[in-house]
Amino acid sequence: MPKLIIDDIPVEVAPGTSVLEAARSVGITIPHFCYHPALAIAAACRLCAVKLLDGPVKGIQMSCALPAQDGMVVSTTDPEALKMRSLVIEWLMLNHPHDCPICDEGGECLLQDFTIAGGHSRRRYQGKKRTFQNQYLGEGIHHEMNRCIECYRCVRFYQDYAGGTDFGVMGSAGRVYFGRFQEGPLESPFSGNLVDICPTGVFTDKTGRFRARYWDYQFAPSICQHCSVGCNTSPQNFQRETIKIVGRRNDQVNGWFICDRARFDKAYLNDPQRPRDPRLDGATCGYDVAVDAAAKSITEFVRRNGAGALAFVGSPRLSLEGMILLAQLARAAGGARLSYYGDPDQQQGSVAAAKLLHEENTAYVREIEQAQWVALHALDLMEEGPMLALAVRKAFLAGAQIFLVDGDPIPARNIPPFKYTAVESLDQVPFEGGGKGVIICGCGKKDPELLAQIASSGAKLVMLQPGANGFAAALLTIEHAASPLTELVASGQVKGVVCFEADVPDGLLSQVEVLASADWRRGPVHDKSPIFLPTTTWVESDGTAINCEGRAQRFERSRVAGLPLRGLDPKYYGSATEAVTLHPPRLHRKEVPGGAERDAWQVMAQLIERLGGEPVEPLSGKWRALKSLDPEGEGVRIFEMGLGE
Amino acid sequence: MIPETLKTSLEARIASAITAREAAVDVMKELQAHYGWLTDEAVAEAAALLGLSPLQVEELATFYEMIYRRPVGKKVIHVCDSISCWCADCDKIIQHLKDKLGVGLGGTTADGMFTLLPCCCMGMCGDSPAMSVGGVPYGRLTPELVDEILEAERHKV
Ligand code: SF4
Ligand code: SF4
Ligand code: FES
Ligand code: FES
Repeated sequence: MPKLIIDDIPVEVAPGTSVLEAARSVGITIPHFCYHPALAIAAACRLCAVKLLDGPVKGIQMSCALPAQDGMVVSTTDPEALKMRSLVIEWLMLNHPHDCPICDEGGECLLQDFTIAGGHSRRRYQGKKRTFQNQYLGEGIHHEMNRCIECYRCVRFYQDYAGGTDFGVMGSAGRVYFGRFQEGPLESPFSGNLVDICPTGVFTDKTGRFRARYWDYQFAPSICQHCSVGCNTSPQNFQRETIKIVGRRNDQVNGWFICDRARFDKAYLNDPQRPRDPRLDGATCGYDVAVDAAAKSITEFVRRNGAGALAFVGSPRLSLEGMILLAQLARAAGGARLSYYGDPDQQQGSVAAAKLLHEENTAYVREIEQAQWVALHALDLMEEGPMLALAVRKAFLAGAQIFLVDGDPIPARNIPPFKYTAVESLDQVPFEGGGKGVIICGCGKKDPELLAQIASSGAKLVMLQPGANGFAAALLTIEHAASPLTELVASGQVKGVVCFEADVPDGLLSQVEVLASADWRRGPVHDKSPIFLPTTTWVESDGTAINCEGRAQRFERSRVAGLPLRGLDPKYYGSATEAVTLHPPRLHRKEVPGGAERDAWQVMAQLIERLGGEPVEPLSGKWRALKSLDPEGEGVRIFEMGLGE
Repeated sequence: MIPETLKTSLEARIASAITAREAAVDVMKELQAHYGWLTDEAVAEAAALLGLSPLQVEELATFYEMIYRRPVGKKVIHVCDSISCWCADCDKIIQHLKDKLGVGLGGTTADGMFTLLPCCCMGMCGDSPAMSVGGVPYGRLTPELVDEILEAERHKV
């Protein structure tokens, strides 16, 4: 463990740590552009200069490329180092257009921060600046090459890290250009990370440009709800609208990055058509009126048909809190049935995976990266868990063999960023050193016997769930012996349903009475239900999600519920004629327009009370340990808490 | 479209390289010799042969100053403007070339004979100022010598 001194502070770091990281570990940020912890060292920008006063190396050095060594005495404030940094930044800024006021990166720009931190504040250069033609890069990303400082982060990420081949660096000397061979949409499903990784405003998120500045945003730690990998994100909201979603670091899950689905697929959150008002028999009503009516309807139904004829239906879209309370609600209704899955095959696979996985056999992302071989079992990885493809790519680059076992041909748009060999069965995968191999499969719709066979292989396992919170749905299904809705209805037992964010399979709806439904999106259930209770999405609610490896992660409300101010209906302006405007309504009111939505679990809690149950706290009993989960931490695998059983 | 024979020989060249990328410069040079410059079509052909994307070929093509991504004259003049030649007043030589040929840097003479390009050090510092014409190196240039060389090169096949 090298021991060194940085600005008079003794520091001890792991071997191989750079001086830049060593300084950061004691709170000293050395200005840097090309350095990024996830990428290989380029030492391209020359900004991170420090002076070594004593020890094995002396003089001005690039701290990002210099491994910490015993006996080093480092100064980050030496006049010579300061001078070097300010001259370098001045040089990097020569051609920069100084257009921060019209740059969407402004306020969240590393170039701004380190230009100031680097000591360059006055432009001396009077010459002509080199300018570039920008390219159309698709609907996700806007290109503004004049702002480039040639740090090579983008191309190192795009090609080396993410395996893209259609974006790179061209030219030499003063003409270095980062772009595509020809204009056109970026092909990599990870292209959106260019926005986060470019230290300047060359790449900005086109889907949220010019809406707000960093200091305008409301944001909070969140968890992506598009698949069961559970990547960490930070939605940036302004005036009740999710403007952008950026990646949030979690070394145990997604590292620094997220896939494009997580970043760009957000229109549904802001959709003005989202059902926002509670409804009773086709008419808008107060929330409590609707909850009362639902409670009454449930009581009536149970009296007429018995509790066994009623099912409370959820889905893997619910937060863990919602799933827990759904079970309590079923109990409060006198022992009604419970369902977290519509489709029996999905439930069966999801539950089988949750039963088979435990601390020892469930792969950590790092174990995928370090695997000697990886088998994708009948899996379209880019569809079911895109970010894991980057972990597999790391293993591939380190020499691991990758197999696609018994898989359908992968569609062209989903070709993963690594080469693989297609084989017919697991027998064809060379199992030597089984412990260093990882099998990745989807578990929804998989035969439990097949899953058990996969689990018995001795390899580490990833079983992707059929929904963001599928693992939690499986745990609750096991705990409460919940049944797939299809079965409950087919067997004639269940005649009525109350749905919470449930996706009821086609055809089932005509066979049951829907008493009430709660959701944040419109669908057939919503249309059929006489009572409708609008709920919040994950951006507007607090909750817990459990990813495919059993990792419980907390997400926090990042904006209040309600209609986005943008595009607000003119009626909220107190005038039917006023044009739709971005200015807040001039009418005084206490409620947020469309802000009646409540978190699904809170609606359930209210129903439980209406039905005569005790007030409930979702994360109690065996779930209590999760209450203190740190939203900014790495989450906890529930196996450690004995919750997996 | 390149002839089958060229294709076969390029494939053999690539097969003998440890990695395909290593053969990229040779492939580009051959295709350039065939077309006169590295056309967009040639970039795509090189990419297909090398198993790279067109962008990845373009990255290399635009890095090397002797790969031409625009049409050039019959002979390309690379005149050095790096430090040693600059000390030996290459500016005067470059100005003379411009005047004589009637083109700026990057330009091609009206008769399509010469294209004038600046280049970095050719390793002829000892004989600076230096240039090459159609691949033939010339050093210790003076305006008079430049005139002679141009005249000779114009008539040499
Ligand atoms: S485009 Fe951005 S990330 Fe890429 S080299 Fe330029 S400044 Fe760096
Ligand atoms: S891999 Fe899945 S969880 Fe991760 S960002 Fe993509 S969709 Fe979201
Ligand atoms: S951060 Fe060290 S050289 Fe760029
Ligand atoms: S500087 Fe011109 S040949 Fe070396």
